[in-house]
Amino acid sequence: MKDVMGVIYTGEKDDFLRSLTKVRAIAAMPVCGRYRVIDFLASSMVNSGMRNVGVIMQKNYQSLMDHLGSGKEWDLHGKNDGLFILPPFLNVDDENTGVYKGSIDALHSNMGYLRRSRQEYVLLTNSLIVYNANFTDAFARFRASDADIMMFYTRNPAMQRDNYGAYLDVDADGIIRDVEVDPVKPKYKNTSMDIFLMKKSLLLELVSAGSAHRYHELLGDIILRSVRDNGMKVMGYEYTDLCYRLDSVENYMKFNLDCLDPQIRHQLFPEDRPVYTKVRDQLAARYMENANVINSMIADGSMINGTVEHSVLFRGVKIGKGAHVKNCIIMQDGVIEDGAYLENCILDKNVFIKAGVRIIGTKYYPICFDKGSMIK
Amino acid sequence: MMNKKQCVAMLLAGGQGSRLGILTADVAKPAIPFGGKYRIIDFPLSNCTNSGIDVVGVLTQYRPLALNAYIGSGSPWDLDLAHGGVYVLPPYQTGKSGEWYSGTANAIYQNLQFIEQFDTDYVLILSGDHIYKMDYNAMLKAHIENEADCTIAVREVPWAEASRFGIMNTGEGNRIDEFEEKPANPKSNKASMGVYIFTWDKLRKYLTEDAADPASSNDFGKNIIPNMLNDNQRMFAYDFEGYWKDVGTIESLWEANMDLLELPMPIDLYDKKWRIYGRNPGLAPSFVAEGGKAINSLITEGCEVYGNVEHSILFAGVTVEEGAKVIDSVLMPGCTVKRGAVVRRAIIAEKAVIGSGSEVGETTGNIAVVGDRVTLPAGSVVKAGEQRAE
Repeated sequence: MKDVMGVIYTGEKDDFLRSLTKVRAIAAMPVCGRYRVIDFLASSMVNSGMRNVGVIMQKNYQSLMDHLGSGKEWDLHGKNDGLFILPPFLNVDDENTGVYKGSIDALHSNMGYLRRSRQEYVLLTNSLIVYNANFTDAFARFRASDADIMMFYTRNPAMQRDNYGAYLDVDADGIIRDVEVDPVKPKYKNTSMDIFLMKKSLLLELVSAGSAHRYHELLGDIILRSVRDNGMKVMGYEYTDLCYRLDSVENYMKFNLDCLDPQIRHQLFPEDRPVYTKVRDQLAARYMENANVINSMIADGSMINGTVEHSVLFRGVKIGKGAHVKNCIIMQDGVIEDGAYLENCILDKNVFIKAGVRIIGTKYYPICFDKGSMIK
Repeated sequence: MMNKKQCVAMLLAGGQGSRLGILTADVAKPAIPFGGKYRIIDFPLSNCTNSGIDVVGVLTQYRPLALNAYIGSGSPWDLDLAHGGVYVLPPYQTGKSGEWYSGTANAIYQNLQFIEQFDTDYVLILSGDHIYKMDYNAMLKAHIENEADCTIAVREVPWAEASRFGIMNTGEGNRIDEFEEKPANPKSNKASMGVYIFTWDKLRKYLTEDAADPASSNDFGKNIIPNMLNDNQRMFAYDFEGYWKDVGTIESLWEANMDLLELPMPIDLYDKKWRIYGRNPGLAPSFVAEGGKAINSLITEGCEVYGNVEHSILFAGVTVEEGAKVIDSVLMPGCTVKRGAVVRRAIIAEKAVIGSGSEVGETTGNIAVVGDRVTLPAGSVVKAGEQRAE
C-alpha cells in the first residue's frame, strides 16, 4: 500500500470529553495504559504498508507533537515519505484559514503537502474512532472497483448515537445511496467510521471546488450531496473488527476497561499488528508485597502495594499500602497514597490522592480529575 | 575525516560466555536478556550515552546475529548519529588473509583504522559482562588530571574472593605498582572491572608492538597491561564504589536479576538522570486476571498472569496460565508456563514453553535452566542445576 498516503484529521469537536480534552486533542488522549489514540491510527496505516502519514492539527496540539516527535517509533522518518505534522498557520494569501470549520478547510490549508506527496491514493481518517485495522483488503477491493470513493462503515450497534455521527444506506451491491449526518434518531444501521479512500487527484478537485463553494465538511457538504444527486459512485466497505467511538467520558472509559477482556485485548493488539508508541524507558511494573491485582492492566514503571480491581494503570503509577482502586483509569505518574479508596474515577496525568481519601463515582458518570490535581 | 571526538568507546562483545551454558548456545553473552526489560549490553551502552560518549564500536565475533539485530541503528540509546554513533565491528578480511580476533587486544588492533578516523585522544575499553551504572566521563576526567597513560577502574572485593580477580596493587595517588591476575596471596583487594581508559597514542604503540610479538596471546590483562607496567608508564587505578555485578555464570545472572526485586534497589534503575535504555517491543501493559496473583515481582508489558507469580522477573510477552506457579525465577521474553506447572529457582530462556504440570527447579540447590525455544512436554521434570536444551 505504499501508493496510499494517510491523512489524519485531529481537529474534531471534543467538548463532550469534559476536562480530559481541556489539555489535549482527542488524538492525543492516553488509552490502554501506555498508548495515545493516534498510535492506533498511525500503526494501522504503517502495518498496512503505508509510508507517508500527515497529521492535521488544530487545537492543543503541543502534546500531540511532543508524542509524535520525528515519527521514529512508527518507522515514519524516511527521506521522502514519513510523518508530516501539519499545524494550522496563518499567511497572507487565502490558502489558509487558520481556524478550521471542518475537514475541507483543513485539507485546503494543506493542499501543498497533498500535491507534493508522491502517492496516487489517499486514505483520510478522523481521530474520534479508534481501531487496529489492516487496510490492505479494502484497498485491493477499491482498486478492483470503478468507485470514486470508498467509505468504511460498521454495523456494530454500540456505534449508533442519537444526534451524532453519520449513517449510511448501503445497497445490495455495496453502493452508498444515502447519508444521514447527526440525525435525531439514525435510520440506517451502518455507522460511518469516517475513513475515506480515494484517488488523491479526486480529493484535490473536491477540496478546491468545495472550498470555492464555501463548503466545510467533506462528508456532510460534498459526499452527501453527490450521493443524493447520483453524482460520484461511493462504495461502502464493511469493517467487521472492533472499533470504538470516544465521544463521551463513559465511552472512553468503556474502551479502556474492555481491554481487560483477554479476547478483546488480543483483537486490539494482534501479534502481527503491534501498536507502536513513544517509549519511556522505565523499569517493569513492580508488584510489591501487598499487591492484590485483579483483572487489571499495569504499565511499566508502576509500583503496586495495594488492591487494584478492574482498572487500567498507566506508566509510573504508585498505589500505596491498603489503597484500593476499582473501575478506575489512572494516567501516567498518578499517586494513590495508603488507604485511599477510588471507584469509577478517571485520573488525568500526575494526580495525587492523599492517604485515606474516599471518592466514588458511578459507572454512568465517572468522576474526572484534572491533570496535576492534588486531592486531600 | 570525521569530526574530532575526545573519547571513543570500544566494547568487547565477542566472547562466548561459555560459563552461561545453554543460555549462550545461540547468542553472545551481551545479548542475554536481563532485568525484565534489558539486555546486558544495554548497561554499557546506556552508560556511554549518559556519560556523553557518542562513538561506540561493538566488537562482535561469537554468534553475532541476535546482537546485531538488537543494536540495529542504535536509536534506543540515542546512538543513531550522523557523526558518530554505534558501529558493529566484526572481524574482516584484508588482502588475501583474514583472521578472527585472537584476543581482546587483537580485536582493538584490527580496528585501528576505525579508531583513527575520529582523531581521538582517548579510548575507553569496555566489556559486556557486567551490570553497573558508571559515569565514564568522571573516570576520563581523572585520567586527564593524572596525565595518565592508562586508567583502570577498580572496585574493592571481599578479601576472601580477591584471588578470583585481576588485582591492582597501588601506591601513592592510586598509581598502579603491580598487577596480579588471580593471585594466590593477594596484597590488595582492588579488583579490575575490565574498564580501561588509554591515551590513544600510547595504546596504539603497545598494540602495534604486541601484534608483532608471535609469543603474545594478544590480551589486555596478560600482555598489554603488564608490558606497560614493565615500561613504567603512568598507570592509575580509578575507584568505583557503586553496584557492580558480574553476570558471567548462571548463578550470578540469576542473583543479579533477584537483586532488582530488593527495595531500595541495590542498583537504582528508577533514577531518571541515568536511565538504562533498551529496545522496546511496544506491547500492551502487564495483565493479571481474576484468580491470578503476583507479588514481589517485576512484570513487564505483554505479560499475562492467570496463575501465581512470586519473587520473579517476567520479560515481555510471558504468559503464566491458570494454576501455574512461578517462584524465585527469571522468565525471558515470550515464554509460556502452562496450566499447573511449577517453576522454582529457574531461568527460562526466550520463547520456551513449560508443559502443563511440569516441575522445573527445586526450592534449594542450583538454578535450573530451560533453553531458548525449548518446548517441555506436559509432566516434565527439570531438576535443580539441570540445563535442558531439547
